[in-house]
Amino acid sequence: MNQIMLNVEHLCKVYPNGVQALDDVSFSISEGEFLVIVGLSGSGKSTLLRCINRLVEPTSGRIEWYGADILSFQAAELGLIRRQIGMIFQQFNLVKRSSVMTNVLAGRLGYVPPWVSLLGLWPKVERARALRALERLGLADKARSRADALSGGQQQRVGIARALMQEPKLILADEPVASLDPVLAHSILGHLEQLNREEHITILCSLHFLDLVHRYASRVIALKDGRLMFDGPAQDIDRARFKEIYGEEAVDVHATRVDA
Amino acid sequence: MSIVRGFSAMRRPSFSVFLSTLIPGLGQFYIGQRARGVGILLTVLVAGLLVAWYGVWLWTVAPLVVWLWGIWDTTGEAPRSIFVPSAAILIMSYGIGWRVAKINFFALTQNLDRAAVVLGPMLRPDLVGARVERQRAFVTIEVPCSENPPSGQRTDAGLALGASAGCGQVGDEINVLGSGFWPNTESELWWEDAIGEKQHLLENGRIIVVETDAEGSFSKAIVIPQMRSGTGQEANLDQPLPERFAVIQERPIGGFEITKNGMRVLSGILETLSLALVATTLSLFGALPLGFLAARNLMDRSAASLAIYYGVRTVLSYLRSIEPIIMAIVFVVIVGLGPFAGMLAIMLHSVAALGKLYSEGIESIDPGPIEAVQATGAGWSEVVRYGVIPQAIPSFIAYTLYRWDINVRSSIIIGFVGGGGIGAWLFQWIILADYRAVGASFIAIVFVVMVLDYGSARLRERIV
Repeated sequence: MNQIMLNVEHLCKVYPNGVQALDDVSFSISEGEFLVIVGLSGSGKSTLLRCINRLVEPTSGRIEWYGADILSFQAAELGLIRRQIGMIFQQFNLVKRSSVMTNVLAGRLGYVPPWVSLLGLWPKVERARALRALERLGLADKARSRADALSGGQQQRVGIARALMQEPKLILADEPVASLDPVLAHSILGHLEQLNREEHITILCSLHFLDLVHRYASRVIALKDGRLMFDGPAQDIDRARFKEIYGEEAVDVHATRVDA
Repeated sequence: MSIVRGFSAMRRPSFSVFLSTLIPGLGQFYIGQRARGVGILLTVLVAGLLVAWYGVWLWTVAPLVVWLWGIWDTTGEAPRSIFVPSAAILIMSYGIGWRVAKINFFALTQNLDRAAVVLGPMLRPDLVGARVERQRAFVTIEVPCSENPPSGQRTDAGLALGASAGCGQVGDEINVLGSGFWPNTESELWWEDAIGEKQHLLENGRIIVVETDAEGSFSKAIVIPQMRSGTGQEANLDQPLPERFAVIQERPIGGFEITKNGMRVLSGILETLSLALVATTLSLFGALPLGFLAARNLMDRSAASLAIYYGVRTVLSYLRSIEPIIMAIVFVVIVGLGPFAGMLAIMLHSVAALGKLYSEGIESIDPGPIEAVQATGAGWSEVVRYGVIPQAIPSFIAYTLYRWDINVRSSIIIGFVGGGGIGAWLFQWIILADYRAVGASFIAIVFVVMVLDYGSARLRERIV
């Protein structure tokens, strides 16, 4: 049995405008899992992911990172936790006007002292590390390009390289393929799967397509209106469950399969 | 149920009409349209007070129209269109505005001759003129006569001047003869007092210009003018002092040159440009940090940072609401006349204006990358450096160029209150009625503003 990495208990989030995004959500993640979150837009998936690294402050509940209470941390300690948790985003969230290299190096900000990074005096070690990360994602030749000169799929791979720079134990992926052509979905998720298998990086990923869920997830949790509806192995999510989670009108859309 | 029915029955139109007749807007208030009711009451009150203040009772019609309309408004199923009362108030405001602004379009046509005096010289700007050489001669005349007056004759470098008397009272007529001057050349006649103040000699209120004959001689009867003002202890009109009658000749020697005022225009416009440049550059040191502190998306992390945000915002809008020309008047008092006072004023105003613009530039950036950089464990300063600044730089540059553009214009104006640059000259020339020099400065200003407009627009296009 793998060690429990993250334990979420009775998590609630009410936004200032009164929207209850999360309602008493409890689950845990063990090391090495590829855990997928499913649910409609607005069901609380993004909020849940952002509560874990506290980009969003939960209203109540408890989040434990290897037994330590994340919600009790002040800024400095929080930085030390955050740097172990990589994050990739639906909109990639690269700084478009900066170079690919700078975007990737930014993943290292939690490690280097501020005066080094503020002056942009990145040590050779870090530049080499960034190049290795880009190489691994097949983008070594793009290091000097401006981020917005890259295609969507390439930008998302830069996002993964940035997360890799953090030497993360966990990667939070918020709809990583929702803004991409379906044919690119397997490329991106394939990279995540590779990191999961080879580097033993735990993945917590929200996804939309049922076929992708079946293909990549080792375990699935489902959210509906901020409540946890389902927690179990991916193969247990069948059509009936799917309709339950997504509502009656939902159609089981397939991401185009490259191998089909 | 019966209570509810009774209540709604009480809200019948006739009662609200009664209320609205009693006090404007009360009927609306009663049927639940509170904002409308308050609006009607305030409108009638303010309009009524304005009419009373200006005392033209015809305008009482406007508040009355609003009042009556308010009564009629309560009788409808739905609120009625506010076109009629708005029109009544607008017409009234227009009438008052007309009166307050003392509008008199006839004044424009009645004074065409004055316009000609101003605009005529402006069409012959004093920027470039024919190159000329000058020569000058004078003879001393004592005013009034002492026991031992000077001879009234003087020859210097071949220019001979002779007066019919070497002394005289103010108002005496004396004959002057000149010889050895350039022939057939217009010559100006001047009078200088003992301390070097000079003025043109006049005849029937016009400046005297004599033309020398073919031998270079002239003769003219002149009247001794009063130079000393007669006020103050030093202006003792009875004390004999040596004054001077002087002749100045100018003749073209071919080619053109920038006139004296033209040089002043050029140096003034350069001073204005550099004043604006220095002020804009220096203002960056204040505006950049303040811009970050006034950006809500960076400052909403804690109560303390929000307090800073509101504090900085307040100071910025306070400073921004004071026009640079008013700040310049204050700084002229503190540091004295000159470009430095103008620079300080423009700098301070730019800090406020740019700080606001920068903060808006920061607030309009994509929040995604900020989130991404935060997620790496970076601190506030690193988030700003890697997530905010790279995104905000194009708008920073655009706003700075735009501000420099504005600062050049306002530094022209600031010269009027002693802030240096071309404005200082322009102000003097307007006061001295030297409209040819005014015309020259207009050319320089229009040229600079046009070049700047075009240049900064092109530059902004390229950057953004």
